[in-house]
Amino acid sequence: MSSNEPTINSSKVKKFAVVEGKHAKFRCFVTGKPKPEIVWKKDGVPLEPGRRHLIFEDREGYYTLKVLYCKTQDTGLYVCAASNALGNTLSAVHLSVKGTSVR
Amino acid sequence: EVEGAPGAPLDVRCLDANKDYIIVTWKQPAVDGGNSILGYFVDRCEVGTTHWIQCNDTPVKFARFPVTGLVEGRSYVFRVRAVNSSGMSHPSRVSEPVAAMDPADRARMRGTSAPWTGQIIVTEEEPAESMVPGRPGDLQVTEATKNYLVLSWKPPGEKGLEGVMYYVEKCVSGTDSWQRVNTEIPVKSPRFALFDLAEGKSYSFRVRCCNSAGVGEPSEPTEATTVGDKLDIPAAPGK
Repeated sequence: MSSNEPTINSSKVKKFAVVEGKHAKFRCFVTGKPKPEIVWKKDGVPLEPGRRHLIFEDREGYYTLKVLYCKTQDTGLYVCAASNALGNTLSAVHLSVKGTSVR
Repeated sequence: EVEGAPGAPLDVRCLDANKDYIIVTWKQPAVDGGNSILGYFVDRCEVGTTHWIQCNDTPVKFARFPVTGLVEGRSYVFRVRAVNSSGMSHPSRVSEPVAAMDPADRARMRGTSAPWTGQIIVTEEEPAESMVPGRPGDLQVTEATKNYLVLSWKPPGEKGLEGVMYYVEKCVSGTDSWQRVNTEIPVKSPRFALFDLAEGKSYSFRVRCCNSAGVGEPSEPTEATTVGDKLDIPAAPGK
């Protein structure tokens, strides 16, 4: 599946920044029928739900990834990949976590 | 442009589609060029390409032709040319695209769509301040003998309920000296049994909630309760 995934033009990826220690919430609206499978990835690696990573569909139907208490290591390329029987697509953003000591 | 050739066939459409063949029909051209039409050639083109392939080697007489040799699931467009003794017409206008698939599969595919993902929006959120819990309510002495005494209460109604635990405090009547009973471990359930009370003495009790953020305000104290055989046992809670 990943071999025919669309490629990402990193220079065109939107950049966001959050302050270390804060939460970062990623929201992505996805359409498709049958309902697409969603995988969130950071730097190409799928993210599993965990203590610092919440993955859910919010009340307005947005696929949501929440990274809690961001660390500088959370900086990277985040991808929301959607696939169903008819194809696959993705959206990407770059997150940078700014250390608080730099102020 | 060949002198005397017929006009282009009209209204090319698909009559029936399967995974093995698609039946294409059309209308004869309005102009036959003065010579009667000998037949037609059908061309197909896979959608997404510009490669036209002639489907029949010899002209077909009837305005209807089953096109075979299709790849299942691919979509095709068709066009038709008419021929008479003077030559070949221009191709017709191209048909609507038709997929080579069985009607059942087409029905299954209807209303489906490939995924689309919008721009991801990132927002920064303030981690929720953990709150010190409020006061427990409805503190009561639910059982009392000369050996032990049981307190029960209700959890605080406010936020900060997550992971709430309790500290129980006692105070000998007539003094203002509150002492924590469970100094080491806070209790998790909203009830508590006390054993080491001095018989004959009168006590008041109160309870505080605590969580990771800290220890909250105490509940209203109970009325003075005397430890002993003649103790009044209050009515059961939740009467």
